[in-house]
Amino acid sequence: MKKLLVVILAVLVVVAVFAQKSGGRLVIAMETEPVGLDPHLVTAFASHRVLENVYDSLLKYGEGMKLVPNLAEEAQAVDPYTIVFKIREDVKFHDGTPMTVEDVLFSFERILNPDTKSPAAAFYQDVESIKAIGDNKIEFKLKKPMASTLLPNFAGVNSSIVSKKFVESGKNLQLETNGTGPFYLAEYVPGNYMILKKNPYYFVKDQPYLDEIKIVFMPEEVSRVAALKNGDVDIAKINEPLNLKQFPEGKFKIHRSPVLSYYLIGINTTRKPLNDPRVRNALNYAINREAIIKTVVFSEGVVTGPLNPAVQPWALLPKSFDEYTYNPAKAKELLAQAGYPNGFEFEIVTSQRYNFDKVAQVIQAQLAEVGVKVKIDLVEWGIFIKRWRESDFDAFISMNSGSIEPDIQFYRTFHTGGSTNVFLYSNPRVDELLDLGRSTVDITKRKEIYDELQRIIVKESPVIFLYSANQIFVSSASVENFKLLANESLVFLRETYKK
Amino acid sequence: MNRTVRKFLKNPFNMIFLLILISVLMVAVFPDLFARYGPYSMDYDAVLEGPSLKHLFGTDQFGRDIFSRCVFGLQKSVIIAFSSILFASVIGTVLGLIAGYYGGVWDLIIMRICDGFFAFPSLILALFIVALFGSSLLNLIIAIGIVYVPIFARTVRGATLSVRESLFVKASKVIGKSNFKIMLTDVLLNLSSVLIVTFTTNLSTAFLTEASLGFLGLSVPPPEPTLGGLVGQGTAFLLSAPWITLFPGFVIAVVVLSLNILGDGLRDVLDPKNR
Amino acid sequence: MSFAYLVRRVVTSIPTVLFVAFVVFITIHLVPGNVVDMMLGTQNYLTQEQIDQLYKEYGLDKPLIVQFGIWLKNIATLDFGTSLRTGKKVINLIMDRFPVTLELSVLSMFFATIIGVPLGIVAAVKRNSFVDGVLRVVGLIGLSSPSFWVGAILIVIFAGLFQGFNIFGYVRLKEDFLKNLQVMFLPSLTLGLMLSAQIMRMTRSSMLDALQQEYIKTAKAKGVSHSKVIGKHALKNALIPIITLSGIQLGYLLAGTIVIENMFALPGLGRLLLQAVNERDYPVIQFVVMFIALLIVVLNIVVDFIYTLVDPRVELR
Repeated sequence: MKKLLVVILAVLVVVAVFAQKSGGRLVIAMETEPVGLDPHLVTAFASHRVLENVYDSLLKYGEGMKLVPNLAEEAQAVDPYTIVFKIREDVKFHDGTPMTVEDVLFSFERILNPDTKSPAAAFYQDVESIKAIGDNKIEFKLKKPMASTLLPNFAGVNSSIVSKKFVESGKNLQLETNGTGPFYLAEYVPGNYMILKKNPYYFVKDQPYLDEIKIVFMPEEVSRVAALKNGDVDIAKINEPLNLKQFPEGKFKIHRSPVLSYYLIGINTTRKPLNDPRVRNALNYAINREAIIKTVVFSEGVVTGPLNPAVQPWALLPKSFDEYTYNPAKAKELLAQAGYPNGFEFEIVTSQRYNFDKVAQVIQAQLAEVGVKVKIDLVEWGIFIKRWRESDFDAFISMNSGSIEPDIQFYRTFHTGGSTNVFLYSNPRVDELLDLGRSTVDITKRKEIYDELQRIIVKESPVIFLYSANQIFVSSASVENFKLLANESLVFLRETYKK
Repeated sequence: MNRTVRKFLKNPFNMIFLLILISVLMVAVFPDLFARYGPYSMDYDAVLEGPSLKHLFGTDQFGRDIFSRCVFGLQKSVIIAFSSILFASVIGTVLGLIAGYYGGVWDLIIMRICDGFFAFPSLILALFIVALFGSSLLNLIIAIGIVYVPIFARTVRGATLSVRESLFVKASKVIGKSNFKIMLTDVLLNLSSVLIVTFTTNLSTAFLTEASLGFLGLSVPPPEPTLGGLVGQGTAFLLSAPWITLFPGFVIAVVVLSLNILGDGLRDVLDPKNR
Repeated sequence: MSFAYLVRRVVTSIPTVLFVAFVVFITIHLVPGNVVDMMLGTQNYLTQEQIDQLYKEYGLDKPLIVQFGIWLKNIATLDFGTSLRTGKKVINLIMDRFPVTLELSVLSMFFATIIGVPLGIVAAVKRNSFVDGVLRVVGLIGLSSPSFWVGAILIVIFAGLFQGFNIFGYVRLKEDFLKNLQVMFLPSLTLGLMLSAQIMRMTRSSMLDALQQEYIKTAKAKGVSHSKVIGKHALKNALIPIITLSGIQLGYLLAGTIVIENMFALPGLGRLLLQAVNERDYPVIQFVVMFIALLIVVLNIVVDFIYTLVDPRVELR
């Protein structure tokens, strides 16, 4: 391996575009509505999905979750402490003003300003300084040697580049937008729909192909199914795989892709009897993940370990862990070792969203077979969050958004005192590995570190990883080039067109 | 009283639906006799099967028998509806008695509060309480109960006002009975027929309120079945597996229909105007 | 109908509405999980100081009673608050959603009346006949069926029989009139069917009362035609209870629409309220509930007022 990790990302080559690709209006039915529009503040998936088409970040995810250049035409980790971006010079905001290095600097200052309260501030907490070099380069100096770990953050919506002039003129970004993305927000009727229109200044030649995207919000699955069948919408998000039967092939296209987010049982590692790693590990063996996937999502999902199997090269595949093979006999054996031959009783707190309640019901039935009695406490989401935050649970069932970067996924979750370590899990060796992984640049060494980490986490099971559900969209047959990404983004809408 | 009962039962209509209601109650009290499968037992090989002899109402996503879940759900729903109306009638009657018998400031305060609750659509109120305090069985009973308190309070108050002026209450006062005793014996006894009618009619709406909350996902949490909850879980599959939604809804309609017909019948025989 | 009466009614309903507002205010703030919790979700990225500052910004750091006072003061100056989650004025949100609920309610009342009143008249005129018996059962079935069940049946039927009929996909009235009516058809029919049962029963019983009045008997004796007796004299008298019932129902419809709005994906007031509760968007919850309470109070006053128009004998003091 080279001592210096040099990431040189090639400029996107625009594929020759045929005339019929451009034009047209696409109607998409989504279940959830954006909560706020300020790219530096939003946390809701629904906001991200819209805003990544309105704003651009320095980098973005291309196919297969590869980092590719976006507003930066080049990104270079000069050494583990330094990242230099070369900023594109042909970019204009939606209001027609050119984007400059000034705007980039301003955007990161805004993110890092504690008054902004941006979730992205936490990603950049180890940034020492940011400065412009000349009029088209920007340099990040880091306190820790973590340049390569940091790069994925520059592709997030929360790291979008906003217009300095626009913000300083007193505009409220939660309500108004002015980005550089392929579409601009033309109309938003809360509770109803949103219209994105083609950005004539967009810096990628000939993109986007569509003139207009109308996103209609239909929280009920049945209304999305009916609207798509009726031809009222071109694309709809489908959550119940069973409903796919409604869409005959030829008339419709089914788009599915694995996602990074995963279902999990989180365990409070300080409460008896679940404070005993053997007991937690027994639960691992007693759970039949395939059965959960089959019944809850009708086989539209994959078993996942600590890292989603798609996250390569880092992820250890589920079959490399003994625990992921359903083995009730082994579970009973472990329970007996821990002193609970006749099982025990505990409570799972969860909420009625994203199938959590259904997963809980299947797990309850499965654990009953090894003598473990589960009481499901189904609470309203707000109450769930409060109990989650205060570690007020024996165990909970929920979903976490994953990451392609193991450090991002693991550090705050399993480090002693980490901000999302609600399991109150603490293991000195894990802490050591996490710190080491963060500052190690050599890929082979890093892989060894994260391999050991994944083994420890599965063995000690502060979290029982369950599965990742596929995301499913169905479109009418006339929709072309609609692609999905594992981070559930719809960033490829700029390349979508209608026949 | 005997005459009333006879008159009530003479109507074949009342007879039929009384029998239906009694059988429904039997099912609710002894669910194990009627359900062929456990309400929670999952069968991964019989997922989303349509109605058949094996599964009368079909199966759900986890291969659970809808009929058996309806049977156990019926039990939960009956408990909730009955307890909440019981709760409402006790609290409402006490408040109504106080307001009607003592009048004055008591009357003003109690009735103003009732007005406040009346200005609050019943479902929204129940929804509020459940969404905010969680949907345990007890919370649910209280949430639905509170909605019906003002109805009882108002009805009892009105009736008390007229009874208060009657001769025998005045007579009781003359012979030195305490206010408390008068309220408990003379007044309450005279209100019994009004109470019975109010109880039955509101029982049916309480049943519907519980079902609506269940439909919105705010009733007793799964895996416990309630009839409204069963309907609500099915709606995502409405076009692919309509039986999950339609059968439990049918059960609700039958129960409420019987309650309404009996309420109607009771009113006919108990209401003085019809005597 | 005196002006003084109107003033008195309005003044006496103020405590009622304030009571509702106060109860709502206290409840929503006592509940675990506040707007900041909901915003952060299960990702903890803010420091405690930042969280405290957020509380301060939203005015959540003050004692509850002070917060309520501030809210009242703002209401008095016609400042109805701003949504914490979307940054929009609450009044604008309501103005956006209320027309949907209103349209649904009005259409439902329309269906309920055109089904309920004629059937009620028939039942009263043919009292105790077979037709009356059948109508009674039909009415009771209507009263007894949960709205979401009726809605589900209608959806299954319409989806099966009429391909291409727009069951879902709300558009605003002024955007596409015909499509709006199509989408509104099933939900308002669902609610209308259920309401028609009550209206039918009420029409029947008040028609029976009216038909037994002396003057009707006189009119009959005088040889006024049968249909005229029913249409002009009896029906006019029977209208009062029907109007009362419709008025009360219109109020309660607002609650019924929550379920139907959810089922048919209509962006109405009920959906707004549910969403606001889920997100703990206090100003929105607070004002939507008060708005509904106000509406019901006003509706009651209006109903009483209509009494006097229909029946001059009723005098409001």
